[in-house]
Amino acid sequence: MKPANLTSDYRTRFGLRLGILRFGVIGLLLALLGQLWYLQVARGESYQRAAVQNHVRDVVVPAVRGRILDAAGRPLVDNRTALRITVDRIALSREPDRGRTVLARLAQVLKVPAADLRRQITLCGKGVRPPCWNGSPNQPIPVTKNADPALLLAIEERSESFPGVAAEVGTERAYPRPAGALAAHLLGYVAGISGPELDRLPADQRVIRRNDVVGRAGLELSYDRVLAGRSGVRQVAVDARGAVTATVGENPPVPGDDLLTSLDARAQSVLEHALGKGIAGARAHGDPAKTAAGVVLNVRTGHVVAMASYPAYRPEVFTGGVSPEDYRAVTATTAGVPLLNRAVQGEYSPGSAFKPISVSGVVKEGTANFSDMYSCPSGVQVGNRVFHNFEGTSLGRLNLHKALVKSCDTVFYQFANSDWYADERRIRQRQQPVEAVQQMARAYGLGRDTGIDLPAESAGLIETRASKLARWKSFVRDNACAGAKRRPKSDPIHKLDAENCTEGWKFRAGDQANFDIGQGTVLVTPLQLATAYAALVNGGRLISPRIATAVRDPAGTVVRRIEAPVRGRLPISATLRNNIVSALYDVPRAGTAAGAFAGFPLDRVHVGGKTGTAQAGLSPLHDTSWFASFAGPPGQPAQFVAVVTVPKGGQGARAAAPAVRAVWEGLYGIGQPAAIPGLLSGGQR
Amino acid sequence: MSTLAERLVPLAGRPSLRERVRHRDTPLARVDWVLLAAAITLCGLGAVLVASATRGVPGSRSSISYLERDLLNVGIGLLLGTAAALIGGARLRRWTPAVYVIACGVLVLVLGPMGATINGSHSWIVVGGGFQLQPAEIAKVALVLGFALVLGEWRATPDGPGTAEVLLVLGLAAVPIGLVLLQPDLGTVLVLAFTVIGVLTVSGAPRRWVVLLLLGGVLAVLGVVHFHLLKDYQVKRFTAFVHPEADPRGFGYNATQARLTVASGGVFGTGLFHGSQTSGRFVPEQQTDFIFTVAGEELGFVGSAVILGLLGVVLWRGLRIAARAPDPYGALVAAGVVSWFAFQAFQNIGMTVGIMPITGLPLPFLSYGGSAMFANLVAVGLLENVALSTPRR
Repeated sequence: MKPANLTSDYRTRFGLRLGILRFGVIGLLLALLGQLWYLQVARGESYQRAAVQNHVRDVVVPAVRGRILDAAGRPLVDNRTALRITVDRIALSREPDRGRTVLARLAQVLKVPAADLRRQITLCGKGVRPPCWNGSPNQPIPVTKNADPALLLAIEERSESFPGVAAEVGTERAYPRPAGALAAHLLGYVAGISGPELDRLPADQRVIRRNDVVGRAGLELSYDRVLAGRSGVRQVAVDARGAVTATVGENPPVPGDDLLTSLDARAQSVLEHALGKGIAGARAHGDPAKTAAGVVLNVRTGHVVAMASYPAYRPEVFTGGVSPEDYRAVTATTAGVPLLNRAVQGEYSPGSAFKPISVSGVVKEGTANFSDMYSCPSGVQVGNRVFHNFEGTSLGRLNLHKALVKSCDTVFYQFANSDWYADERRIRQRQQPVEAVQQMARAYGLGRDTGIDLPAESAGLIETRASKLARWKSFVRDNACAGAKRRPKSDPIHKLDAENCTEGWKFRAGDQANFDIGQGTVLVTPLQLATAYAALVNGGRLISPRIATAVRDPAGTVVRRIEAPVRGRLPISATLRNNIVSALYDVPRAGTAAGAFAGFPLDRVHVGGKTGTAQAGLSPLHDTSWFASFAGPPGQPAQFVAVVTVPKGGQGARAAAPAVRAVWEGLYGIGQPAAIPGLLSGGQR
Repeated sequence: MSTLAERLVPLAGRPSLRERVRHRDTPLARVDWVLLAAAITLCGLGAVLVASATRGVPGSRSSISYLERDLLNVGIGLLLGTAAALIGGARLRRWTPAVYVIACGVLVLVLGPMGATINGSHSWIVVGGGFQLQPAEIAKVALVLGFALVLGEWRATPDGPGTAEVLLVLGLAAVPIGLVLLQPDLGTVLVLAFTVIGVLTVSGAPRRWVVLLLLGGVLAVLGVVHFHLLKDYQVKRFTAFVHPEADPRGFGYNATQARLTVASGGVFGTGLFHGSQTSGRFVPEQQTDFIFTVAGEELGFVGSAVILGLLGVVLWRGLRIAARAPDPYGALVAAGVVSWFAFQAFQNIGMTVGIMPITGLPLPFLSYGGSAMFANLVAVGLLENVALSTPRR
């Protein structure tokens, strides 16, 4: 500033003040430069890493789960593509109202309450109860099961109104039901991995497995490792809205292997219908049957051909997460707990169907001879009580062949009495009791798991002196003593409780008598009985049954064969086995099942079996109906064992035997096309 | 009639022809070419950065791309700037009151039904045809001119401005500042206030006033924050500035993403058009208020320093023009423009690198936006105007 008319003082002051501004400007620029240096040079690398995290996301690519196929290669469990509508939490969080409007709009389109949607996309954590999201917070969260494509179109047409809402094509389990076979209990179901399950995984797998589905029941659970495959990870670049802009890297998923099974869809369907028939038959007789179970085993291989439990459920209810209502329905006791697989989880007294095992036991022990004659009175004194024949009939003198065919009980009471006294004598002489029939029952595989490739199998119960004492000590005593104290003396149960309180550990002669005819403290699963009968007709081999036969990789190569291992041999002679089997072949001809098999072409299909009627309470209405059977072409060894039980179905001959007959008719094609063709022409599978 | 020798006498002992041509005092020689080059380079850089920030994003209001609109803005701005440079000193002084009144008028208008709210601030006037006007930018020019007039020439005391001038300036500033506060556009208020303080400081106003104003400014900011006179979103933006990580998806989101984007550029940057933060559009308003983040990520520390350097050149030339100005008026116009640019650039870059709170302010010459670009280039024109009126030494 130069003009001469200004005072020099003003000019000096102006220059100084301009200097202040200059310094101020330099200061501001230096401050910026310093901060830039700090951010970009000093800490640039750590910020670069943060930036990568900011816009690269790991997206888990789930592996396609393997299928489950029947023996003919028909898929019992398949995959289908499912269109799911997803919500991206991050995109929502960038909305001005944190996505509230978007969710409300989406809820309107999906016709669900907005609160439900909000819960579905809330991350699971402390105090957050399902439904919540268990997976990665960075991943779009599916909020629908398989969605209607029209719905998706409606959303995409107005995509600007639905930021963060997208669709995802995934796969979900499908059940094609070949030949109408449901097999729900065998196949099981899958569900998303749970928080605790994730926590148990090694740390490096937690992220990638966050969205996994895992088998929860049935074969899906037993063969989860085979079926699951391995999820992959795709690294994608995303923009601020969470939309994927590019794929940065990919570690592709490995699809799961297929599981081949010995199940035959048509045989399965036959069995499922036969169970329904058995229940209908029982109900026609006035029995209140609501449940049933059945097994068909290939006796040579030990593989399961069919297995069913009634009531069943639609496995679809578990697809994409089970709703609380559906879960209640499949676990309701009033509906018979459809989720329960009674063929391996139901424990019932086998009744007379146990007698081949008793015969094996008493003959092996020398208590009886198969061809000796014994009396079959209407009643026998055992201990301080008289035990009667079923319906009180006397059959005169008979050998064990006839005792099996006609199912005489009193013969077995006499053997039991004699065995019991022999054991008591041994105990007095400080020897171990033999408990021959119990031993034989265990040799037949009863009282322990069969080892089938299904989860949560029941072991059943074979009562011995030792096991009764142990049970008494652990809980029977306490319950009985408490009951005796609580109940008035007039109550009939008071006496029972009082006795059990002090003497409930005692294994009495009556216990052995009941045991030998398969009542009371013998509990078996239908599958256990089936493997026992299979051992009888397959040369004495006790086989641990299997449903799966092979594992096949997606390329179609069988990578593993699954045999049903032999886990024991029956400790009886071939002669005795043959004697018992030939007696059982007479049961449908002339014995207790003759009525049920009236008109069945036994000359074309050679059927043997044993009925069972087990008391399961004071009322005969609660009797468990059994038929354990085997069949094959005449003159050849039996091919299959079929066991059906109908709890509360009354007599074995009335409910279970007709159901088994229906199974054989279906399998061999009696009056209908054969479920498994070629069985009678010698071409055994 | 003089002889050739006589005519040659005056030349004896004088600089050579070449020297004289070089030092000839012509308008073209008076133009500050360095300033012009720096400003135009910044505009060009800005256009490139805008293109990068908006790649893949179609222009929201028309089919013309952001780059094309930015270049159009620069073109119009250069024309307006040329006019501002060439306008005569007397005419400029005469028109100053009118400019001031017009600026205050449109600031009133923007509060009425003609105004449009964008990003929480009611600071745009929709002109029509897809154009909007930001009156606050006019106010910056008007205040710079008005301050210079009052402090430099109102009573033309040889000893510089006194208390009366200071009070008049404060009064003149209070009207537009108050109107801008009503929008509310806190960034512009800060720039205007800093311009007042800067110009008053340079003007040679009594020292007690300068000290008082500086203190008052600091106290006002503290008080405003303390008594929550700020709108909710502004308080949140301020607290987000202190603790950006506390709410990474909320109001701290801009701050965090902006800082992350700048810092991830490192020394040399990702290269133009290669920034993943930029292409992912993680920084909101990136082509306008956060244009510097594009430079930070894609050009790195080197490119950012070059931009700071170019801004420094503009400020240095402005200060030089102020120092050489022939009269207090010209000097104060230049000082006003320097104060304005300096603080606005500092505030804008400062908020992207996390040393200033987030306010809505464009970066001079670089940000996309018509009104701001016009105002900036008119301000450069005013600097050139002062330069043109300064005889060469």
